[in-house]
Amino acid sequence: METLALIETLDRDGQPRQILRVSQWPVRIGRAIDCDLVLDDPHVAALHATLDMREDGLHVVPATTVNGVRLGRASVAPGSTPLLPASGQMTLGATTLRVRLASEVLAPELRLLDRHAVERRNAATLVALIVIASLWKGFDLWLSAVPGAPGSTIAWGYLSAPIGLIVWCAVWAIGSMLFQRRFAFWAHLQVALTWLLVAVLVEEVTKQLAFALSMPLVEKAGRLAFAGALAMMMWRHMGLLLPARRRAFAIAIGSAVVVGGALLLVDRSVSQEPLVGDLYLGTISLPGVRIAKPVSIDAFVKSAAPLQQTLSKWAKPGDDDDDSPGGDDD
Amino acid sequence: MLLNCLLRRRCARLSALLVALAAAPWAHATSPIAHQAAPASPLARASLAASAAEADSDAEDSSNLSASARRIYDFGRPRLLQVRTLLRDQDSQASVGSGSLVGADGLILTNYHVVSQVALEPQRYRLNFQTVDGVTGALQLIAFDVVHDLALVRMAKPPATVSTRGIFEFRPAATPLAQGERIFSLGNPLDVGFAVVEGTYNGLVERSFLPQILFSGSLNPGMSGGPVLDDRGHIVGVNVATRRDGQQISFLVPAEFAQALIARGANAKPITTSVEAEMSRQLLQHQQQLTTRFVALPWRETKHAHYSVPVPQEDFMRCWGSSNPSESKGLSFERSDCQMDTAIFINESLRTGDMAVRHEVYDGSKLGALRFAEEAGQSFRNEGMGRRTHDLTAPKCKEDFVESGGLPMRTVMCLRAYRRLPGLYDVAVLSQSVDAKTEGVQGRFDARGVSFENAMLLATHYLKGFAWKRSP
Repeated sequence: METLALIETLDRDGQPRQILRVSQWPVRIGRAIDCDLVLDDPHVAALHATLDMREDGLHVVPATTVNGVRLGRASVAPGSTPLLPASGQMTLGATTLRVRLASEVLAPELRLLDRHAVERRNAATLVALIVIASLWKGFDLWLSAVPGAPGSTIAWGYLSAPIGLIVWCAVWAIGSMLFQRRFAFWAHLQVALTWLLVAVLVEEVTKQLAFALSMPLVEKAGRLAFAGALAMMMWRHMGLLLPARRRAFAIAIGSAVVVGGALLLVDRSVSQEPLVGDLYLGTISLPGVRIAKPVSIDAFVKSAAPLQQTLSKWAKPGDDDDDSPGGDDD
Repeated sequence: MLLNCLLRRRCARLSALLVALAAAPWAHATSPIAHQAAPASPLARASLAASAAEADSDAEDSSNLSASARRIYDFGRPRLLQVRTLLRDQDSQASVGSGSLVGADGLILTNYHVVSQVALEPQRYRLNFQTVDGVTGALQLIAFDVVHDLALVRMAKPPATVSTRGIFEFRPAATPLAQGERIFSLGNPLDVGFAVVEGTYNGLVERSFLPQILFSGSLNPGMSGGPVLDDRGHIVGVNVATRRDGQQISFLVPAEFAQALIARGANAKPITTSVEAEMSRQLLQHQQQLTTRFVALPWRETKHAHYSVPVPQEDFMRCWGSSNPSESKGLSFERSDCQMDTAIFINESLRTGDMAVRHEVYDGSKLGALRFAEEAGQSFRNEGMGRRTHDLTAPKCKEDFVESGGLPMRTVMCLRAYRRLPGLYDVAVLSQSVDAKTEGVQGRFDARGVSFENAMLLATHYLKGFAWKRSP
């Protein structure tokens, strides 16, 4: 007999669990065994709905049930017999069904190797990233290690970062496993490496630039950019988990950054600390990096005069005279 | 110097002071008096008595010495008091010190730090006295000299018998003590009972900005404010502090400052308003003298081949040097730490009115340029500038490249304002040379409790001490 349509019962991941070949309309769907499609769902009535082919297409005819029929998010009003939407999906009780009609035009065949090719391309990028990160880390360790320090200290320093990174990416990959059914370790590693490198690069460049130009503000901007890069990394990680929710994630991370940042600013302003970064620029660089000309002692001291005004404002009693007496500066 | 004021409760909490000065090499071997002093258990008392008896029998000329101590104590007994700081609403004592009757109307001389809680927070504390024979009563704060740590208090309702007690007289300035003369300190150590302590006068402490008498005798917490008498019973000084790391190294405020305070304050009315304005006035006067003397002194010659570094004369500062082992494969450095011995006590968490100058000279030739820059940066950024406290605002800084004597430096100047003492600031200047690839100098200057103008003056003076030396 000619197959007119397939009705697939979908599981939570959208994979077909049960397929019915339809050779004649109408099709009765319900829990009763005399239905054409018998669903094992306690939220479905004995006869829940009927699918009927009319001249303008396939219609859903719901029976009188407790849970009714939903097309997408919209419930079908009692008595109406709507046309099945193009997606072919409907929900009866807790069961989602998809109808594929024989008359539908098929999407072209997807090239199976596509994903592998992408991964190969990514692999090259990934290797490059790993090499850059290793070199950077090695340089960083060399820079701060005391000559003659025991090898184990250096080895531990060199190993702790990759171990941390592997654990981080593995946790995200387990997340991917949960939502995407694949252990996307390398994809997460690429995200993490890319944005961490961006973060440290921006930090280092702004530090050197701040020193060269004697502009501490540049370093402060670098700190913000650093935090921004980390936020981007989180967003990309989350996007790999649920690509459809990227917009929502962007809003969530954005508002977390705004709210967290605002709280931090309030906190720092109450304790009279600089809003961003340290009290002063802590970078000392090579003599050749410096571009800014030194000022004379008198000019420097004169430029500190406005401090008095800020300090007298800070010293004003009032707002917080009951704070705990502290002697931490002693 | 690790000064441990002789006020029992204070001393138990002076660890902050200890921390501040722990950089000095001898500080590691300190045994804070507070530890020995903590609870006066019967056992501790017994062992104290035993050791006292031992000392007595050991003394060569014990009959003579104890006879004069007995005479002095008998003379001082009616004129000696314990000054107690009590909580305003109950009889619990917050701290105890000693005092001496110096006026027939119940005028008592003691230390400022004995009455500082009452002076600063009269809404929480009150003052009380107790004589050796057990008479007690309330005290009122009359006048104070915060710089020399002295205060005058007066009995609120002097008992009728007060005039029969007699008062202490001062030793005339015309007959100065000779080094080695026996003097006697009176007070109530650790609140265990009134005591007389024999010791010797050893002149003024050397290299101290504020004059203090070096008394070789055991002073203990609780004796603060008590009189120190010559063998005729005349006051020569007032108990004030002791060294935690030494033995029988104690300090007295010279009698002349007490006499000056009595001369200007004896007839004053009790202080009922805030003391902060007067305290600021005294501290501003002190910092003006200190600054004037400090900037008048030239910097010492430094031996470094390329850098002139500001190192102060040791007129009223003491310098300690250190360096790391020469076989070190990393950064080699030499360090010098200079600071003043005397800091002015304001309250438990605030000492002020002093200065410190420090520098480190680095040789990074074993490290190479990049690693040297990293090390120098680490050392530059881990300098503490303090945070906002009850007494001080947070620091606010100004930074730039500054040139002094041909030497370009990265310089940071941070100031903090006193929140309760208007017009006073702490200033810190941190400077790091940025001229060479593998060598450099980092210096830091600190002054506490100076006016803004003097902070600027001192910063200028300090920075001008740096220069680049042409190799010979």
